[in-house]
Amino acid sequence: MNSKKDNVGQPILSISEVTKHYPIREGALQRVVGHVRAVDGVSFDIFPGKTVGLVGESGCGKSTLGKVVSGLTDPTSGSVSYNFNNQLVSISNLEKNKFKNFRRNCQMVFQDSFASLNPRHLVCDIVGRPLKVYKEVSGYDLVEKVVSLLNQVGLGREHLYRYPHQFSGGQRQRISIARALALNPEIIILDEPTSALDVSVQAQILNLLNEIQKARNLAYLFVTHDLSVVRHMADSLVVMYLGKIAEAGETQAIFAKPYHPYTKALMDAKPSFDEGQNSKAKGLEGVVPDPARPPQGCRFHTRCSLATDKCGWEVDDVVRWLEDTPGMFESLTAVERKSEFSAVLSFSDESSAANLTQEMRSEKLPTSMRKALNQVKINEKNVQIEFEPVEEILLREKDGRHTACIIEPKN
Amino acid sequence: MWFMQTWIEELLLENKMNERAFDNSHYNGDTAFRVRIRRFGALVGRLCANPTTVIGLIIIGLMMAMAIFAPWITEANVPDPYQMPRDWGAVRKPPGTPGFLLGTTNEGGDVFYGVVWGSRTSLQLSLYVVGSTMIIGTIIGSLAGLLGGWVDEFLMRLVDVFLSIPELIFALAIAAVLGPSFTNIIIALSMVIWVKYARIMRAQVLQVKQNEYVEAAKVIGDTKLNIYLKDILPNAVTPVTVQATLDMGNVVLIGATLSFIGLSEAGIAEWGVLVSEGQAGIASGRWWASTFPGMMIFLWALAFNLVGDGLRDALDPRTEGR
Repeated sequence: MNSKKDNVGQPILSISEVTKHYPIREGALQRVVGHVRAVDGVSFDIFPGKTVGLVGESGCGKSTLGKVVSGLTDPTSGSVSYNFNNQLVSISNLEKNKFKNFRRNCQMVFQDSFASLNPRHLVCDIVGRPLKVYKEVSGYDLVEKVVSLLNQVGLGREHLYRYPHQFSGGQRQRISIARALALNPEIIILDEPTSALDVSVQAQILNLLNEIQKARNLAYLFVTHDLSVVRHMADSLVVMYLGKIAEAGETQAIFAKPYHPYTKALMDAKPSFDEGQNSKAKGLEGVVPDPARPPQGCRFHTRCSLATDKCGWEVDDVVRWLEDTPGMFESLTAVERKSEFSAVLSFSDESSAANLTQEMRSEKLPTSMRKALNQVKINEKNVQIEFEPVEEILLREKDGRHTACIIEPKN
Repeated sequence: MWFMQTWIEELLLENKMNERAFDNSHYNGDTAFRVRIRRFGALVGRLCANPTTVIGLIIIGLMMAMAIFAPWITEANVPDPYQMPRDWGAVRKPPGTPGFLLGTTNEGGDVFYGVVWGSRTSLQLSLYVVGSTMIIGTIIGSLAGLLGGWVDEFLMRLVDVFLSIPELIFALAIAAVLGPSFTNIIIALSMVIWVKYARIMRAQVLQVKQNEYVEAAKVIGDTKLNIYLKDILPNAVTPVTVQATLDMGNVVLIGATLSFIGLSEAGIAEWGVLVSEGQAGIASGRWWASTFPGMMIFLWALAFNLVGDGLRDALDPRTEGR
C-alpha cells in the first residue's frame, strides 16, 4: 500500500480483510434478521513513525474500525496483526502476556475529551492510572512521572490536583494525550481528536501531536472526517465509504489528483469563502445508503455524478428512485425479487405500471441507469425489470495507489 | 474500601512531598488529599445552604444522640433494655407526673422510656434494612447491568414480580408468615425493599458503562473489577445514596405500621407498638400514650425525607459546576 515500503521496513500494525458486522435483532425471540456491515473487508498497514489518515463521512465505519484496531472490539472476520519482534501476530487470539504487551503499545485518544475522562478522578489519577495498572512506578516517583508527562503536553504541576471539568476542551484533550503517552506506546489511535475543538485550539493540538510523533517515532492512526486536518497530519490516506475502502495511497498524491469520485466529492464538499468557487463546487448529494443493505457493484454509485452503466445499478435503485417520484410510490404494492438485479414490481392499477414502464424508458431515469437496464416488460399490473448483473468492484492498484473506481481517471 | 486506602497513601505522601522544593512557581502546594477534602466540604456546604435540609439534619442529629445516649437519659430496664418497664402501681398517669415525664400507658409502661429507647429500635431497624438492601440491591443491579443477556432478563423479571405487589401489603404478608417478632419485621422489609435498589442500580450501570471513560480504562488495560470499582460504581451510586436516605425514614414508617397491627413482640420499646397500646385510651382522653411516639415517627420520617431531598439537589451534577 505504501510505496515507500522498502525504506520504512515492516509495518508495526497490519490490518487485513477486517470486517465488523453487527446483528440486527427483531421480535420477541430476538431473531437475527440481518447485519449492519459497519466495516466490510478493509486492509492497510501502519508503519512506525508514520501517520495513516482514515477519512470518510459519519457512518462509514471509520470509528468502528478504530475500535477494532485498538482491540476494544473483536472483528467479525479478518485480523489485526501486531509486530512482535519483526513477526506479525494476530491480536485476536493472543495469550494474556502478549496481549498485555500489545495493550501497552497501542493507546487511544477519544473524540470527546469530556466523556473520556472520569469526572470523579483528579488529573494525577487519570494520567497516572496506566502507570499504576502496569505497576511501573509508585508513590513520589509516580507523581514526578505524571508531572513530566504533563510538561510534555504543555501542562504543569499546578494542574495535577484538578478535576477534568476545571479545564477547557483543548486542555482536556492534552490530558487525554498525556494519558495515552504514559506507557510509552508505539501506536496511538486518534479517534477524531480535534473535531470537538475550536479551530485555533485544533491547530495547537495538531502541532503538539506532530511534535510528539517526531520526538518518539510514534505511529498514528488518525480517524477523522476533516480532510484539511488529514492533509496537515497524514503521510498516507485511507478513504472509506460504507465500510469499504474507496481509495488509499499517499496523501500528497491523493490531494494532487483523487482517482475516486468519492474522494473528489469529499474534497469539493469543503466550504469555501470564495463565493464563485462555492457555487461551482460539486458536493455530495443524497443520503448514505443503509449499511445493512449496501448497494451492489460500487457502493458509491447511488450518489456518484460520474456513474456509468457498469457501476452496479440494481432493483433497490429503482425503488429509491420511485420513493422520490411522487404519485408512483403510493401505488406500488409489492416487489418480488429474483436477485439483486432482477425483480417484478406490482402496482395497484394498470395505468401506474404503464406509466413506470414509459418513464423508465424516458429521459427521467438517470442515463447510466437506463443504459444498465436489460429489459422492462409490462404484464397487466406487473412490471418486470432486469439489470445487467455486475460483480462487486474491488480495489485495484494504479500508480502505486489503490482505488475502487472502475473509471479510468483522465490525465 | 479502596478509596480509603488511597486517601491514607496520599496523606502519607503529602508529608514527603512538602519536604521537597518545587521548580514550578505556579504550584500552590495543593495535594490530592486536600483537594478531595475540599470537594467533600463543598458538598456539605451546598447541603447546608438549604435551610430545610439543615432542619432535617438537626432533627436527625438529636434523634441519633437520643439513641446513642439512651442508657444515660433513662436507666436501662433489666434484663432486656428493649422491653418496656412495667410499673403496675402507676397506670394511666398523665404527662408531668413525677418520675413519668410523658405519662404512662394502660399497663403502666413509661412513655418517656418508650420514646427514648424506641429511637434505638428505629435506628436499628432502618440501619439493618437499608444497609442490607442497599448492598444486595447494588450487587444484583450491577450484575444485571454489567452482564446483560439472560442474567439481566432473569433478575429483572424477578424484580418485576416483587414490584408488582404493594410494598406494605407484601411486607405484611411476609411478616405474618414468619410470625410476630421485631427481627421478622426487619427480614420482611429487607425482602421487599432490595428490588428498588436493584432497579436503580441497573439503570445507572447501563448508563454509566456507555461512557467513553470506561472504554478509555479498557484501552489502558485495567482489570474489569477495577473498572467497575473506579469508573462505574462511583459514577452510578449517587441516586442509590439519595434513595437510601429517603428509605431510612420510610422504613421506620412501614415498620411502625407493622408493629402497630401486632407483628412485633408485645411490650417491646418501639414507637409503633406504643401508638398501638395507647390508641385505645384516646377516646377516654388519654392522648399522651400514642401522641408522643406518633410524633417521633413523624419527625423521623420527615427529617430523613428533608435530608434526602437536599442530598438529591446537592449531588445533582448540574449544581456541581461541571
